[in-house]
Amino acid sequence: MSVSIEISDVIKKYQDNTVIKGLSLSIKPGEFFTLLGPSGCGKTTLLRMIIGFNSIEGGTIAVDGNVINDIPVNKRNMGMVFQNYAIFPHLSVADNVAFGLKQRNIPKDEQKKLVEEILDVVKIGHLKDRMPTQLSGGQQQRVALARAIVIHPQVLLMDEPLSNLDAKLRVEMRNAIKSIQQKVGITTVYVTHDQEEALAVSDRIAVMNDGVIQQVGTPKHIYQRPYNRFVSHFIGLSNFFDAKLTKVNGMPAVDFGGYVEAMTNIDTTILGDEWENAPVMVAVRPEEFAVAKDGEGLEATVLSSVFLGISTHYFMRLADGKDVEVITPSDANAILPDGAKVKLRVLPQRINVFTADGSRTLIADDEDGEPA
Amino acid sequence: MSLKKPSIWMAFTLVILCFFVLFVVYPLFLIMYQSVVDPVNHQLTLDYFTKFFGRKFYWSTLVNSFSVTICSTLLAALIGLPMAYLLRSYKIPASKYVNILIVISYLSPPFIGAYAWIQLLGRNGFITQLINQLPGIHFGGIYGFAGIVLVFSLQSFPLIYMYVSGALKNMDSSLNEAAESLGCGAFDRVRQIILPLVMPSLLAGSLLVFMRVFSDFGTPMLIGEGYKTFPVLIYTQFMGEVSTDDHFAASLCVIVVAITLFLFFLQRMMAKHYSYAMTALKPMQPVKAKGMEKIASYLFVYGVCFIAMLPQLTVIFTSFLETVGGAVYTGSFSLMNYENTLFAKDNSSIFNTYAFGLAAIVFVVVLGILISYLTVRKPSMLTSLLDTLTMFPYIIPGSVLGIALLSSFNSGLIVLSGTALIIIISLTIRRMPYTIRSSTAIIGQISPSVEEAAVSLGASEFTSFRKVMVPMMLPGVLAGAIMSWITLISELSSSIILYTQSTSTLTVAIYAEVIRSNFGNAAAYSTILTLTSILSLLLFFKLTKNEDISV
Repeated sequence: MSVSIEISDVIKKYQDNTVIKGLSLSIKPGEFFTLLGPSGCGKTTLLRMIIGFNSIEGGTIAVDGNVINDIPVNKRNMGMVFQNYAIFPHLSVADNVAFGLKQRNIPKDEQKKLVEEILDVVKIGHLKDRMPTQLSGGQQQRVALARAIVIHPQVLLMDEPLSNLDAKLRVEMRNAIKSIQQKVGITTVYVTHDQEEALAVSDRIAVMNDGVIQQVGTPKHIYQRPYNRFVSHFIGLSNFFDAKLTKVNGMPAVDFGGYVEAMTNIDTTILGDEWENAPVMVAVRPEEFAVAKDGEGLEATVLSSVFLGISTHYFMRLADGKDVEVITPSDANAILPDGAKVKLRVLPQRINVFTADGSRTLIADDEDGEPA
Repeated sequence: MSLKKPSIWMAFTLVILCFFVLFVVYPLFLIMYQSVVDPVNHQLTLDYFTKFFGRKFYWSTLVNSFSVTICSTLLAALIGLPMAYLLRSYKIPASKYVNILIVISYLSPPFIGAYAWIQLLGRNGFITQLINQLPGIHFGGIYGFAGIVLVFSLQSFPLIYMYVSGALKNMDSSLNEAAESLGCGAFDRVRQIILPLVMPSLLAGSLLVFMRVFSDFGTPMLIGEGYKTFPVLIYTQFMGEVSTDDHFAASLCVIVVAITLFLFFLQRMMAKHYSYAMTALKPMQPVKAKGMEKIASYLFVYGVCFIAMLPQLTVIFTSFLETVGGAVYTGSFSLMNYENTLFAKDNSSIFNTYAFGLAAIVFVVVLGILISYLTVRKPSMLTSLLDTLTMFPYIIPGSVLGIALLSSFNSGLIVLSGTALIIIISLTIRRMPYTIRSSTAIIGQISPSVEEAAVSLGASEFTSFRKVMVPMMLPGVLAGAIMSWITLISELSSSIILYTQSTSTLTVAIYAEVIRSNFGNAAAYSTILTLTSILSLLLFFKLTKNEDISV
């Protein structure tokens, strides 16, 4: 009964300003799909086009194969959770949740039953007679969620629902949202600028910037195999290097200016036949370094270190003056003292290599990731 | 959202637009037309304006009006400013009640103040008689310029007080502390920090006072005697018993509207230039005054408060005095005045006051909510036109609106003169700008997503307006409606022109009784009006749990 959402070449214009120019996405039935991006990237604009608060200037949005462009909001049967919850302040918790059911002329006793059921699902059954002003932020959030899903919408839309909560509650609520979504099994589109939140809740994530989708994929894929520099930079922490491709035993290798690391997963066809000596951009996450006293690798000096329990975080300076961050699992070995000279190797299976301008990856896809 | 098909909002907009075109735009145009057209040969003429500016008898009223208005506004500022500052910076016992009393003195119609002061300082006033018992002194009572200025300043300082007090409330005490830490003394802080920061509010309040005083006609009519002001001239030209001239009155209306329009834009411009966005995290805390400061501040605050309340007290007191024919006090107490008014056979003016007030309030609330919603949430060419039109009455003095409505609906297709409806319409129109402004502010505080939530849950736009917006707006709007109600029941300047025997209201009755020198009945009517206002005000405080009032 879950539905797919097919977004084809949609365009959004505000007067002469085109903020989304031809964007396509397909969201699978029952999926928890997240639109992730910095503020102003167009993610909320797209969400509001799906529900219908924003008009669509071009292209189509289809739910379950039916184009919904011209269906008014109140007939789309989509539930929405707003950033500020938008709880009706003059109605009790139960009346807030029943609001959508009333619009559907569902009999009173049926309404009551549905409201109680859903309030139990979101675990605030005991608050049903309270007024909104007597609720905490997390409780209001649960009311908003209950109100949106009690109408059995085809699609659930959430616009930064956790941004008004404190850090601890945010973690608690995102777990609650995830488990409720799984229980209800409803196709969900979630908007956030918080990468950690996106990684935690999503089945798949679309990373957006400037109204353009940068990459779509599972949280793991997006984190480990970012499609371009933007994704690599926006999600997690990356150290970027200018390097060039070279040949070792006929296979591509990355030359960091002396230190060469052979690669097994470079797709040279993107660069054409002249790929040897082509400049590239390499992204290395702090945990993708191997630290050694000597041997091959980039020469580095420890500037400072932070012991974080399960790992140790180092700030190091390379021979050419570039600063990098390195994370090593905390083990029995002593923490490297400030000023210690070390050699840094990169883990060739894990690092990412992009074209020199960072616009796309050169790593051959080993997973079912979709290019943008 | 796009307006592809004619929506219900469009229909509302058009209906309300028609209402305002019919009852505001058309009457005003008619007045403008009459002011430049000769009634006999229908030729364009500037005779009426040259007549006005050509004869001292006429143009001196304008000079008089400006003199009393400027003097009263200055005096009001001189009283209101220190009043607000003292009450915000010193702990003064019963300051909460002082605040309420000031609001009460503001809400009572000015002409009641005028007639009460005549009771006290008039030819046969209580105080006058005391003074004249002193040997060698003959005091003829305050009439004319001094009397008008006295009444107006006492009646207007509360407005300045409320504006400045509001500004001081929004001023963070850290500003003062910062100045102090930088070596600024107490007096210099007032001069260099506080005064400049409250200046925009002071100016806004002063201009409002100026406009109110300038167009008030009841006060100079009663206490002015030979000192004729411009609104009195308008009234006598239109309503007077001898030699009325509608066209000349129309030209006077045009002049007064031009002046208020100028003041309105002046205020707009000043508000734009001199305004600071201030929100106080930690507002000024009143401190305990010591020594001379204490004596001086207590004396000033209580003194002003007493003098401001004196007219009300006088009116209530005299309403229980026995009189002969209403004019001569016998010296004993009785309920005679109430027998002649409240319990008289013909007490329709009391009933009318409540009925018209309530009817107008219903109109004002319904239209106010709709108009502000349309202009904020459904912006379009039409709704912005509506927004402008509904602000018109803000700058039209009541007497002008009354004359305009009466001239327009006295004959022709729609005849409304002498009906209750025309009074209700004029009351509605007069109060509309205030209600719209406060409703607009209320809507501004409601996040659009609340309405979107309702629509996403399947409600139509109109249902979400009805079920979500209206209930959310209502508490704020109703609080505003109580204030509107208080101002509506004390309205005189348009009712005095529109009333007939059967549609007389309390204010009209008071005015008529005073003119007839039946002070007993006037006092009883005034007391009824004042008590109604006080009770309504208490209801307002109870509903809003708020001591601050914006009018």
